[in-house]
Amino acid sequence: MNLPAKTYPRLREAWGIFFFLGLVMLNYPFLHIFNKDVQIFGTPLLVLYLLVGWPLSIGIVYLFSLLHGIDGGSQPPAPPQDQA
Amino acid sequence: MIPFGIVASLSLFYFGMLFAVAYYADQRSKTGRSLIDNANVYSFSLAVFCTSWTFYGSVGRAATSGIDFLTIYLGPTLMAFAWWFLLRRMVRISKEQNIASIADFVSSRYGKSAVLGAIVTLFAVIGIMPYIALQLKAVSHTFQLLTLPSETPHLVALTHSDNTALVVALLLGLFGVLFGARHLDATEHHEGLVAAVALESLLKLVAFVTVGIFVTYGLFDGFADIFAQFRERFPERQHLLMLGTEQISYPRWFSLTFMSMMAVMVLPRQFHIMVVENCREEHIGEAMWRFPAYLFLINLFVIPIALAGILLYNGDTAAADFYVLNLPLETGHPWLALLVFIGGFSASAGMVMVESVALSTMILNHLLMPVILKFYSGARNLSGLLINLKRIAIIVVILLGYLYYRLLGETAALVNIGLISFLAATQFAPAIIGGMYWRGATRRGATTGLVLGFVMWFYTLVIPAFVDSGWLSRAILDDGLFNLALLRPTALFGLVDFDIWSHALFWTLFVNVGSFLAISLLTSPQPVEMEQIGKFVDVFKTRAETPQLRRITKAPSVIEFVELMAKFIGEKQAHAAISEYLGHREIDEKGSLSEQELPQLKRFTELTLAGSVGIAPARIIIDNYLAARGSHMEDVFDVLGSVNISRTATREQLGVLYEAARVVSSGAPLQTMLDEILKIFIDQFRFDLCVIRILDPDRQVLSVRSQRGMSSPHFGSSERELNMDTFIGEAFLSNQMVVVNDCDTITKPATAEITRREGIVSLAHAPITLEGQPIGVLSAFSRTSKGIFTDEFVELFGSLANQIGVAWRNSQQTERLIAAREQQRELEIAKNIQLSLLPTTIPEVPGIGLAGVCLPAKDVGGDYYDFLLQPDGDLGLVIADVSGHNVGAALIMAETRTMIRARCDQSMTPQKTLAELNHFFYEDLTRAELFVTLFVLEYQPASGRIIYASAGHPPPLLWRIQSDSCERLDVEGLILGVRREFPYEQQERTLSPGDVLLLYTDGITEAANGTGEMFGEERLAELIRASGRLSPQALIDLIFLQVRLFTGTQSFDDDVSLVVLQINSGE
Repeated sequence: MNLPAKTYPRLREAWGIFFFLGLVMLNYPFLHIFNKDVQIFGTPLLVLYLLVGWPLSIGIVYLFSLLHGIDGGSQPPAPPQDQA
Repeated sequence: MIPFGIVASLSLFYFGMLFAVAYYADQRSKTGRSLIDNANVYSFSLAVFCTSWTFYGSVGRAATSGIDFLTIYLGPTLMAFAWWFLLRRMVRISKEQNIASIADFVSSRYGKSAVLGAIVTLFAVIGIMPYIALQLKAVSHTFQLLTLPSETPHLVALTHSDNTALVVALLLGLFGVLFGARHLDATEHHEGLVAAVALESLLKLVAFVTVGIFVTYGLFDGFADIFAQFRERFPERQHLLMLGTEQISYPRWFSLTFMSMMAVMVLPRQFHIMVVENCREEHIGEAMWRFPAYLFLINLFVIPIALAGILLYNGDTAAADFYVLNLPLETGHPWLALLVFIGGFSASAGMVMVESVALSTMILNHLLMPVILKFYSGARNLSGLLINLKRIAIIVVILLGYLYYRLLGETAALVNIGLISFLAATQFAPAIIGGMYWRGATRRGATTGLVLGFVMWFYTLVIPAFVDSGWLSRAILDDGLFNLALLRPTALFGLVDFDIWSHALFWTLFVNVGSFLAISLLTSPQPVEMEQIGKFVDVFKTRAETPQLRRITKAPSVIEFVELMAKFIGEKQAHAAISEYLGHREIDEKGSLSEQELPQLKRFTELTLAGSVGIAPARIIIDNYLAARGSHMEDVFDVLGSVNISRTATREQLGVLYEAARVVSSGAPLQTMLDEILKIFIDQFRFDLCVIRILDPDRQVLSVRSQRGMSSPHFGSSERELNMDTFIGEAFLSNQMVVVNDCDTITKPATAEITRREGIVSLAHAPITLEGQPIGVLSAFSRTSKGIFTDEFVELFGSLANQIGVAWRNSQQTERLIAAREQQRELEIAKNIQLSLLPTTIPEVPGIGLAGVCLPAKDVGGDYYDFLLQPDGDLGLVIADVSGHNVGAALIMAETRTMIRARCDQSMTPQKTLAELNHFFYEDLTRAELFVTLFVLEYQPASGRIIYASAGHPPPLLWRIQSDSCERLDVEGLILGVRREFPYEQQERTLSPGDVLLLYTDGITEAANGTGEMFGEERLAELIRASGRLSPQALIDLIFLQVRLFTGTQSFDDDVSLVVLQINSGE
């Protein structure tokens, strides 16, 4: 599937937002929320947060790329100049 | 322990497998079935990021420092989310520019700077060398771990006297030579290398996850069990799982994340695999989640293994770096340990192979090539030398790594070496990322930033590392350089309480980014940089296909270009490249490229060379080659002013046409317009001469109407016959543009001779047309530049000729308009004169009634009538009609009136009056091509007699009241001005009371209705008969009314004059 031209800027924004969200969620003070001596399922909260949050974010990116046709099985959005 | 033979055999077997896979991939690619043109392979090959530092070092760091090892992978994960716009841009730029390395990338962006390329290469080699050493150390150590007797108490007892590292180094070097330097072209894909690296990535992941599962679920009862035991036995080490601790402060966490983010983009090997080896941009989209997923998986079991190691070694973390290997080994699972060893070996080997190939390319292109070119005479074929130099460079890079390892590799922990390299690579980031998005980034800014960044890197990281290794005294750390506390390398300028990484990151980036920005703002990019800026910053924007507005003087032929390429990349490669290039290009009948194509071939040659020798050397090679030939790129940019390519240029072109159009519409005199247009043209394009010739229709020659520029009797001021002997004549007669881009090729002998004499090297003639028909020729001559008449320029030139045609037409129309206006004014004058000639009062004559009216047609006035009361009481009546309707006619009329009035006093007979008038006016009338019809009548009230004569005037009508009949006062007489002497006839009659005499001009009788039928004399006569009893004025009004009713219009086509004389009936 080919991405309609008009959605391309949104896609770009979306990646920007993911990037920014990732930066925030992997730094102080966000990390500080989970930096507690608490065990959940026997696992320290911070470790759990990182080991769950990490694949979760990858999953979101994967789903998002499927949604927008970036995955290898379909054509990537044509670069803007191709649509100009 | 595992017997040495088994480990060595397995290692060699594994090496053999790598060679086989690489060979297979290379062979497949030759048949067009690329193994690496695949998103999975691409994503796996990116995992070359995970070296032995990951494989062994992560666990070591987790066990000693804590969870900050994750930053090394979380950073790249974040970065990968931005790849769709960041990495894709880098890939697009690199493919378009034939960029082969990170040094090429920086050098290319900043004007193909050789200096910058060398700086980046030098820093990369210095920065990465420890990293290679680290890999060799890991292989060597693990090899020893496996083969040493298990009684050996501690790893610290390991000696480095073994030669494992050297053997491995040489084998890796061999691999690099075979699969990374088969050809000189570094931009072509190294299928074998990438396939082997992808396989290694798969293997190291499988090995690590397997050992992770073994430790977590074999030795322990899952994650929770390990965490629980760790809490119980080492409550004092819980900080390993926390942040904000002494070991892992938040700034440190951030610094390491940031460094990793930068490193994954700009480490030479990452750049090589991600950018140079990228087959398709869409693979990036896949890698955006696959690569982070890989990083996640390979890190999933790091914490469990680290904690398990602490637990099993009773808190001894001295050998934590090798827990991964030791845990299976010491729990009696040697085959698992062997798998781990192969995994770790893969991690090391992949990194060393790719890094050595990437660095050798940079060394050859940016350090060796400039030296070679300095001494290169141009004669020798260098391709063999270059490829061998590259092979040697690969070996040298690896051996340098080995040397580093032998000299000081033992002292620093694995992870620290890796981080030092990361921060070195981070120094490239401002120049690279800034260069891709910021137009203002200049070469000087980038150079300053890089150099200062590296100085700071060396001071804040490498010096402390040297101190740790015992190479330097601790004094410099404690007291600072020159005993200045402010200059302490780990607390520079008083920045204390920061961990060494945050401290170094802050200071390096502060000076790097700061000076990069400041110097960039203070300096402006040089022309060669300007050209590159657009190619980087606007890589995704639509760029007009850049028409080559450059030409090469004394251009080399295609063969010569191929020979040049062959000298550097080998004949086979050169021929392959050129045949691919020429495949889709038009070749002229002489088997060579057109003049416009040659600059593109030059660019192609440069790009092809760039793939093999780097961008900056390629530029130098081409420049030197052209210079040696005495040929050079002529910047048509200079000749054409700013009219060149793309949008801005088009605007300039339009600007010229607009200016010309403005001149054309200014309404200035033609000569001014022509001069102005030539001025605009010659100012803009710096021609030596521009000429406009316009056809002289009488003499059938093209005569010069305007010329500007140098004085040239032949080209600038002489006329041209309409024949095909000259280019100007040819342009006119064929109505087609004639362009000669190189006057040396002129076949017209006469023209060739003159162009040589005048020093003209190129010329063009465009026909100036009016409604498609040529009316003249616009010519342009250049003494300086051949080949300036490109397709685009020819189009502009033609448009300008059209503008001149428009100017010519406008001027012609203006002339006609002025003529029409003059005529209009003349008509008004004529009309005024005419009206002033008409009598303003009607003389009182007893016994008769008189009336006279003249109705001039729209602007035409030609009629005249007059009442002349003579001294003896007689009354003269005159009615006349002049054929012309201009001032001349009016003056004739005025003269006539004067003459008649003068004769009036002399009591001349009508006959004599006419004869004299005819005689007098013959000359004037003939010259003015005018005719006058005139009727003169003399009424003698006493006798009622009328005497009359006519000069071709319509005969007046006389209505006899008694007989109620109309008589025509028909009398022979030629119109005035036909013959000099003419005997006019004179007749006389006697009027009776009540009779009505009507004098008229032909405007009445010739007034026509819609069908073309004229009012005629009959109708007029009828009208008088019917209404002759009316007063003279009433009769005239009636006649006008009836004529209007007849024609159906209010106005008359011709002047209409009526004079009525009515003898009072005495009733």
